[in-house]
Amino acid sequence: MNRTRALLKKIAWSAFTVLFVIILNFFLFRILPGDPARAGIRDPRLKKEAVEMLRVRFGLDKPVINCFESLNPIKVGSCAVNPLDTQFFIYTRNLFQGELGISYHTNRPVADILAERLWNTVLLIGAGQILSIIIGVVFGIFAAWKARTSVDYSAVIASLLVWSLPTFWLAILLLFWGSNNGLPLAGKSTPGSSSLPLIQQWVDIARHMLLPTLTYTIVYMGEYTLIMRSSLMDVLSEDYILTAKAKGLSTFQILKDHALKNAMLPLVTVIAINLGFTVAGAIQIEAVFSWPGLGGAIVEALGRRDFPVLQGAFLLIAVTVIFANLLADLTYSYLDPRVKVD
Amino acid sequence: MNSSEPKQQWLIRLQSFWQTFSKNRIGLVGLAMLALLILMAIFAPLIAPYTSSSSAEFQVGDIYNPPSASHWFGTDDAGQDIFSNFVFGARISLIVGFFAAFISIIIGGVLGLVAGFLGGRWENLLMRFTDTMLVIPDLPLMVVIIALTKPSLLNIIFVIGLLGWTTTARVVRSQTLAVKSRKFVLRARAVGAGNAHIISRHILPLVMPILVVQAVLVVSLAILNESALSFLGLGDPTVLSWGQMLNYAFGRGAMSIGAWWALFFPGFGIVWVVLGLTLLGQGLEQVLNPRLDTHHLMPGRPTVRKDRVEAQTKFTKETVLEVQNLSINYINEGKPPARAVENVSFTLNAGELIGLVGESGCGKTTLMLSLLRLLPSAGQIVDGRVFFNGEDLTTISDEELNKIRWKEISIVFQGAMNALNPVRTVGDQIAEAITRHMPDFPKDKIQARVIELLDLVGIAADHREHFPHQYSGGMRQRAMIAMALACNPQVIIADEPTTALDVMIQAQILELLDSLRKKLGLAIIFVTHDLGVVAEICDKVLVMYGGVTAEYAEVDTIYNEPRHPYTQELIKAFPDLTKPKKKLTSIPGYPPRLDNLPVGCRFAPRCPAVFARCQTEQPILHNLGNSHIASCHLVEASK
Repeated sequence: MNRTRALLKKIAWSAFTVLFVIILNFFLFRILPGDPARAGIRDPRLKKEAVEMLRVRFGLDKPVINCFESLNPIKVGSCAVNPLDTQFFIYTRNLFQGELGISYHTNRPVADILAERLWNTVLLIGAGQILSIIIGVVFGIFAAWKARTSVDYSAVIASLLVWSLPTFWLAILLLFWGSNNGLPLAGKSTPGSSSLPLIQQWVDIARHMLLPTLTYTIVYMGEYTLIMRSSLMDVLSEDYILTAKAKGLSTFQILKDHALKNAMLPLVTVIAINLGFTVAGAIQIEAVFSWPGLGGAIVEALGRRDFPVLQGAFLLIAVTVIFANLLADLTYSYLDPRVKVD
Repeated sequence: MNSSEPKQQWLIRLQSFWQTFSKNRIGLVGLAMLALLILMAIFAPLIAPYTSSSSAEFQVGDIYNPPSASHWFGTDDAGQDIFSNFVFGARISLIVGFFAAFISIIIGGVLGLVAGFLGGRWENLLMRFTDTMLVIPDLPLMVVIIALTKPSLLNIIFVIGLLGWTTTARVVRSQTLAVKSRKFVLRARAVGAGNAHIISRHILPLVMPILVVQAVLVVSLAILNESALSFLGLGDPTVLSWGQMLNYAFGRGAMSIGAWWALFFPGFGIVWVVLGLTLLGQGLEQVLNPRLDTHHLMPGRPTVRKDRVEAQTKFTKETVLEVQNLSINYINEGKPPARAVENVSFTLNAGELIGLVGESGCGKTTLMLSLLRLLPSAGQIVDGRVFFNGEDLTTISDEELNKIRWKEISIVFQGAMNALNPVRTVGDQIAEAITRHMPDFPKDKIQARVIELLDLVGIAADHREHFPHQYSGGMRQRAMIAMALACNPQVIIADEPTTALDVMIQAQILELLDSLRKKLGLAIIFVTHDLGVVAEICDKVLVMYGGVTAEYAEVDTIYNEPRHPYTQELIKAFPDLTKPKKKLTSIPGYPPRLDNLPVGCRFAPRCPAVFARCQTEQPILHNLGNSHIASCHLVEASK
């Protein structure tokens, strides 16, 4: 029963965070200047009727929220308006119906544009995370096991070096390298490849994924190496490792049966916390490789001042990260028998 | 005078910090890299061959010219000199990095301090907020905010600064929590010091080092964020940062022309400064928060003597373990070795229980660990031999030794709290010993054996599926004993198995060990500092002091005719039920530090019977007959 309660608490917390993001997202676009929908309405060339039409089309004729007619410039309004008839409520209601607004640029629903792109980003981050975690864990194990030897020092220095690389710059360097080696440089697939057999389509996508995934892996594996190393060092200096050694277990057996699980546990938390940061890497990688993901959508929307897409992409990224975080959190409490459910 | 005193103290602390830091190679390299860049930024107008990037007239060459004598880093898409832009670009990176980090550190520091110091509901609220902000991906949020406002340098600094404080708040909070409960803070509070005073005088000085390390990290993150924003086209159009140089080059055909220089050098600048900061941060962390970088799997130092010999003494059937003149050093680089154990010998017969007695820090645990070569990596067996059934354990190979560990000689460790793996069930850990050493043991009977073993130490069968944290302290200790018995060993080393347990459970465990010895014919080495326990169950006693044998004899001899003043004092320090009116005395002083041993007798500084010779000459082991040994000059005098 306690376990269920703890579970519900975590889910409730994530729900609250999502709500926070939704509110933040709404008010950011209402308080800060720069939204062309509103800027356009201030255009002196427009006739009064046209302005009115635009206001209705973007829902700007409604008060932002109770008591405020608008927030930029701040204009106090009536507090007695029907809360269901405010921009905030309409925005929230639309969200729960899966509507993220209409793109200024293509006039298509933002949700449709972003849906396919979300999966491309998840694919990229997923592959990159798995690879960088595997490599980081392996390097980290060797560094900790061979602590204070040249193996350890090289692993640490190399990790610090890749950690210091700006993601987009590494992407550019790899793009340069790839262009000299005949690798595809942009996008997710070769135009016209959809007519090929399925296997060849997959090979095509894999070839396109190679460089973006490689960039992602290199940038994040250093951090995982360092974390795994320090976590394993902590575990290996615990008393129960001495017990395992006294039991006559071989080094390999001790690492496998007594150290790894314990050392991986903190890594799960770090991976969860890191997700918010790794999205930053994905955006840069997608920008360089024209990868059709959410990051790419953000970059394109920036260029076209397509704010509904920007708003939607941010929301989608934030919610995905929060969800992944919850998942990691639940995995942790499932894996560690010591987590007391209270 | 009052004001100069704390200032001097501050200076002394800084000096001692610099002394350690100047030996840290990683930190020094980082500092040098950073210093070089800062100098370049300050003296940019002197270094750059062409004037400031805004006045383009002096630097125009051909577009995308490769590096040459006049343009070291080549020219860019506008024909500008990349080296000059590179030099001036350092200013932008450093300005954004330091100012944004300043904002983040102030916010994070204040929130962390307040949350940690106030505690309760405020802490909860602030940390929840921090966690929420931590989950929200920061770069997309920065992108949105800057896209909606003007992309000016000031905006970029504020946005990066206002979103970059979360980790700082967490780190500062946990440090504040740790510092808050220290004695001097509680004392200051008890004498009525105000919150402001406690924070500024007592807590802040101890939070500061961590804040400095954190600041270095935050600066590097801010620089990375600025470059990413600029690369995405959100940089201030009036200044040319490294990120922006890359944005222009990448967006204007450098890639297709193959102008690698336009894409390489600005990025190299970012890597240089971020790597410098990272190395500096690592170095600071190592100096301010030193961690012992050692663990149990690091290869131990090889025994000094390599030759293998058969036991010289004829082994009688009942002798299982014979330790001969064993000496162990701890090797400290740059310092003389610490002589932790010197010239210790004893014999253990089957079914015998020998007590190893001495205060903490007398080398008891070191001696026991060395028997199975389990010493920490700094420990080294420098002399002597350990014969187990005629085989010298100090020189056999690791593989051979692994067959003897636990199968023949097992250990019950001190404080079983951490001696069991927290993420595996107790039963599983006992079963592991059986499968490791008895591969022929029928698989389906292992569970029955585990239950039998647990029953032997009085633990109910269903507890085998529990994890160590679900056990009480006494149960864990008994489970440890059950595990030690799993392979029917000939010898059990019990290293203070009853310390930290309450008296009732102590008695239970002693009784258990004694009965097992009688039932299974085990030989036991019992390490303790409790002479009362020794009197109750031991056959022989080895009293150690400062790493050497003080006295070694049958238990009756030790109690009735102790010859070494240390043994005599130890006995005086323990209550005796037969002489209830006896006055208890304690031995003033402490055992010697192993890295600073006295020249003469190690007990001389505390000895009530000390005389001139004790100060200069270390006593040898005197054999008093009937296997009674004592190392004291007085014994020789009376012989």
